[in-house]
Amino acid sequence: MQSRDRYRIALLSAYAIALHGFESLLPTPIPWLRLGLANIITLVALLLYGFRTAMMVTLIRIIIASIFRGTFLGPAFILSFGGGVSSTIAMGLAYKISRNLFGPVGLSLIGAVSHNIAQLALAYVLFIQRIEAVLIISPVILLIGTLSGVTNGLVSDFLIRNILKKDGDKFQDLARE
Amino acid sequence: MRRRALKEDLRLKKIIKNITLADWTLLLVLLVVSVAGIFITKEALPRGTDVTIEINGEPAYTFPLNVDRTIPVSGSYGDTLIEIKEGRVRIREAHCPNRICVKQGWVSKGVIICLPNKILVIVGSGGGDKPGKEIDAVTG
Amino acid sequence: MNNLKGDRNLYIAALLLCLALFASCTAEKESMYKKSRMLMDTFVTITVVSGSADEADEAIEKAFSSIERFGGLINFFSDKSEVAEINRKAGMSAVKVSPATIDIVERAVYVAAKSGGAFDPTVGPVTKLWDFTKKKKPSGVRIRNNLRLVNYKNIIIDRDRQTVFLKEKDMLLDLGGIAKGYAADLAVINLQGNGIKSGLVAVAGDIRAFGSRPDGGEWKIGVKNPRQKNGSDEIIARISLSNKAVSTSGDYERYFFINGRRFHHLLDPKTGYPAECCRSVSMIADEGVFADGFSTAVFILGPEKGLGLVQSLGMDAIIIDNNGKIHATPGLEGRFEIEENH
Repeated sequence: MQSRDRYRIALLSAYAIALHGFESLLPTPIPWLRLGLANIITLVALLLYGFRTAMMVTLIRIIIASIFRGTFLGPAFILSFGGGVSSTIAMGLAYKISRNLFGPVGLSLIGAVSHNIAQLALAYVLFIQRIEAVLIISPVILLIGTLSGVTNGLVSDFLIRNILKKDGDKFQDLARE
Repeated sequence: MRRRALKEDLRLKKIIKNITLADWTLLLVLLVVSVAGIFITKEALPRGTDVTIEINGEPAYTFPLNVDRTIPVSGSYGDTLIEIKEGRVRIREAHCPNRICVKQGWVSKGVIICLPNKILVIVGSGGGDKPGKEIDAVTG
Repeated sequence: MNNLKGDRNLYIAALLLCLALFASCTAEKESMYKKSRMLMDTFVTITVVSGSADEADEAIEKAFSSIERFGGLINFFSDKSEVAEINRKAGMSAVKVSPATIDIVERAVYVAAKSGGAFDPTVGPVTKLWDFTKKKKPSGVRIRNNLRLVNYKNIIIDRDRQTVFLKEKDMLLDLGGIAKGYAADLAVINLQGNGIKSGLVAVAGDIRAFGSRPDGGEWKIGVKNPRQKNGSDEIIARISLSNKAVSTSGDYERYFFINGRRFHHLLDPKTGYPAECCRSVSMIADEGVFADGFSTAVFILGPEKGLGLVQSLGMDAIIIDNNGKIHATPGLEGRFEIEENH
C-alpha cells in the first residue's frame, strides 16, 4: 500500500466518521429515517480511487463510529456492518459490470437499496423473526432509502466534479484507473 | 451576485445531465415499488383487536386493544413503557439510543419495533401465530 | 446515437411493464373488521368482511342496535319487556306483542314440539327454584309442584291478533334458551340488508356465519372444551362453516357441586333436575335460533336419542358425552377436526 493511498483512506474515513456522527445528531422527523450520508464518501472513494479504497473506508468508518458510540459488536453494529459492507459490494459490482450504464445517482440508489435489504434481512434473521413485521416496514424503508439515495448520489456527483476540476490532471488519471 | 447564481445554475444542470437513463429508470422503479408496497401492506393489514408484546422473539403478553392500560417491559435499556389507549397502542417511554419506537407514535395496526431493546409490539386479531390455525369465534 | 435510442425504447417498455404489474396488484382488498359490545347481558362480537372501514363500522353499529332492540323485547328479567308482560298476564289474558316476539315464540314452540318437550320455553317456574350462585338445590316437593306449570302446549299464539297467552296462572315464558341464536339471525339479516356479503356474528357462544373469510375460506369456529384443563378458552375441536349457525349447550356454564355431583343449569323439563348424559352439545343448523334451541334439546335427550333427533332434522351436531367421548354426525366429515392433544 502506498503512503498516498493510506493518507487518502485515512482522510476519507475521517470525513465519513464525521458525517456519520453529524447524521446521528440530526433530529429525525420521521422514524426510520436514516440519511446514510457516509455513503457519499464511500461512493466518491469508489469512483475516484477504486473498490479497495471504498471498502477500507466503509469498514474503518463503521468500526470507529461504533466504538465512539459504544455499540461495537452490539446489535446496532451488526446491522450497520452488514448494511455498509453489502452496499459497498453492490455499488462496486454495479460500477464494474456496467461502467457507463449507471451514473453516481444510480450507483447511490443501488447502494442504498442493498443497504436496506441487508439490514432488513439481518434484522429478520437475528432479531425479529416475524416475516410480516419485516414486510410491513420494508416499503417504507425502501422509499426513504430511495429518496436519500438520490440526494446522496447528487451530492457525490457534485463532489466528484469539484475534485476532478480542482485537482485537474492529478486526479483524472487516478479516476481512470 | 447574478453571475454567481448563473454559475451555480449551470453546475446543477451538468449534474442533472449526468443522470443516465438507467439512473432514471432505477429511481422510478424504486419509487413505484416502495409507494405501491406501502399501500399494499397498509391495505393488507387487518385492523387489530389485540396487542402482543414479544421480548427477545418470545411472545410475552397479549392484551385486548379495547382496554386501556400501561405495561412496563424491561429490556436491554431499562424499562420501556407501552401504553394501550382508545384502541391504539404506542411506546410511551424507552431509553434506547434513537427512540425510533417512541417517535412512531400511536398505531392501531401493524407493528412497533424496538431493536435495541428487542421488543416487538404487534397489533393482531387474536388466534395465534400459526397461519391457517386461527379461529374466528368460539362456541360454548 | 442509434444504439442509445434502442436502449431507450427497451427501458420504456420495461418501465411500462413494471407499472402495469403494480397497478394490477393494488386493486382494492377486502379485510375483516371486528367489534364487540355487551348486549343482552352477554358479549356480542360482530366480524364483517368489507372493502371499507367506514362501511363496516356503520353496518356493525346498526346490527348492534338491532340486537339491543330485540333484547329489550324478550328480556326475562326486565319488567318492561314484552315477555315480562306475557308472564304477568299468565292465566288472565292474551298480550299483544311485536312481530319479532310472535316470531321467536313460534320458533320456541316449534323446537319444543319437535324435541318432544326436551326443550321447553316454559321451564321457568322450575329454573327459578335453582340458585346457581348460592349453590342451592331445591327440595323434590317444590320441584314436583312447579313441574305442573311446565308445558309448552299451554302457550297460545294468535297470529291474527298478534297475541301470546299463557293458559295457566304462574306459568313463566323464558326465551333465554333460544334468544341468543335468534339475535344472531337478526344481526345477520341486518348486516346483509346493509350490503355486507360476509361476516360472523357471535352472541356469546351462539354463532352465525355467512359468506366467506377474506381469504376465500370458510369461517373457523372453535368448540370449547367442556372440561378446561388450563386457560379459560381451551378448544377441543374446530369446525369450518359458512352460511350456517352453531350453538353450544354445556354443563359448565352455570353449575355447582354437592358431594362431587355436578348440578348445572340445563334442567330436564320432565324431571326438573339437570340432565346428566352429556357434557356439551354443539348444534349446527341453518338458523341460529334452531342451533340454539336444539342444542339444549339434544343435551337433555342425551347422545343416543339426541343423535336420532339431529338426523331426523337434517342438521349436524357434535356431542361430548359424560365420558368425554366425542360424537359427530357424518355430515360434518371433512369440516370438523379434533384438536391434537385430545
